[in-house]
Amino acid sequence: MNRNFPNSVPETGLNDQAHTAFDTTAARARAEHPEDTFAGASGVLFEQAMAQTRMAICLCDPHQSDVPIVFANKAFRQLTGYDDHEIVGRNCRFLQGPRSDRGTLDRIRKAIAEEDVLVVEVMNYRKDGTAFWNALHLGPIYDADGKLVYILGSQWDVSDVRAARADERHARDLARELSHRMKNMFAVIGGIVNFTGRVRGIETEAREINERIQALGRAYETTLDDSHRGTVEVGQAIRAVLAPYDPDGTRIRFEGNGLRSDFASVSVLGLSLHELAVNALKHGALSSNDGHITVAWRRNGAADGPAICIDWTEHGSLPGAPAMGSGSDGIVDRMLNMARGGIVREWDSEGLKAKLNIPLRDHAE
Amino acid sequence: MTGIHPSTGEPCRVLVLDDEPLILLDLEFAVEDAGCKPLTALDLVEALAIVQNNAISAAILDVSLGQGQTCEQVARTLAGMGIPYVLHTGDLDRMDEAVRSLGGTLVPKPTPAAVVVARALEPLAIRLD
Repeated sequence: MNRNFPNSVPETGLNDQAHTAFDTTAARARAEHPEDTFAGASGVLFEQAMAQTRMAICLCDPHQSDVPIVFANKAFRQLTGYDDHEIVGRNCRFLQGPRSDRGTLDRIRKAIAEEDVLVVEVMNYRKDGTAFWNALHLGPIYDADGKLVYILGSQWDVSDVRAARADERHARDLARELSHRMKNMFAVIGGIVNFTGRVRGIETEAREINERIQALGRAYETTLDDSHRGTVEVGQAIRAVLAPYDPDGTRIRFEGNGLRSDFASVSVLGLSLHELAVNALKHGALSSNDGHITVAWRRNGAADGPAICIDWTEHGSLPGAPAMGSGSDGIVDRMLNMARGGIVREWDSEGLKAKLNIPLRDHAE
Repeated sequence: MTGIHPSTGEPCRVLVLDDEPLILLDLEFAVEDAGCKPLTALDLVEALAIVQNNAISAAILDVSLGQGQTCEQVARTLAGMGIPYVLHTGDLDRMDEAVRSLGGTLVPKPTPAAVVVARALEPLAIRLD
């Protein structure tokens, strides 16, 4: 009596419902399990399908009292652990248990009574008491005259899918909590810098420090969604850093793809773009009414020395706007140099054109 | 000057509610800088007492006050009195639907305190025009 023990697929070694192969010849199945036999013209095909499918299937007779199972295929026996004589003649509810949701069971009863098709996930129990999530699909089967003959139920063990979904949800909740706490932390840091500047009478300096810290915060904020990957989408970080300088979304144009980078490069990148935006606001394209900026990013450089290249192109700056060297304190140059990158600036009649580059340190995709 | 109440001629009173004292301190300075009188609350009880005992012109409300508490009750009270307020929050997604439906102006954290205060005082400026 080993018919409830499936042959697992040899190549994979997996033994779940999807990877369980039943006897591959209908003849052998028929010989060993005459109860799987069906009469009729397409009987052989139907029989082969029923015997070999990994989808657990049962047929219930709606014309007998308590709608008993009249047929269950091999996959059904394999899934539930019951033998045929323990299945046939009983109502399907022997699969239910303490954690089966009452509301779902009501929907199943209602669907059977009203000859509806229903797809639900319900907690069921095997003969050995172990629970599994059953993706149950049930519906009426009519004969050629449209008379109801069976209720068909197909069962699929989706416990793994449910677990994966739960893990994913948990990870998402965690990332959101982390994001919330980080934003709060940056708000607190901003508060400290502000009131320290105020009581010391150095509000201007404090504001400058704060703007840099908050730019860093925005650059990092985008990393949380991807925290499991270890890399950041460069475009998302760039958009987040520059968002406050373009509240209407009309002054800064973004051109780039899904290039990713390591966290450390993003902090330098974020702060550099923040400084360029502050300068543009004071002296460049953002100081005129109709000026705008194009920010383009791409991967560049040799295969053994890949880099992120950013083109910062200002258009419509006021004529005669002072060509500010490297900002007031050269901080952009120093940050980029420290990251083993650099910046080259040119000015034309439209304003500043800067080319930034920074090495891609990870082998980011 | 938006900071002065039109009928009393005194500085407008602004309720500031946040469970984080350091943020509260920053916002208190910013309210003063805007020429208004800040009234600060660290929790729901303090905030409700301030609303009951003072003529408030505007309010800045942190949405999540810790231990599962939200500013909903304060927001509801202010809405009932027709007092404008901004909701200052680090988690717009998770923000309670009940709070969101009350219709205060949303200001995401972190936003510079001066900007938060400016947003809170916007309705007063319009009213005084």
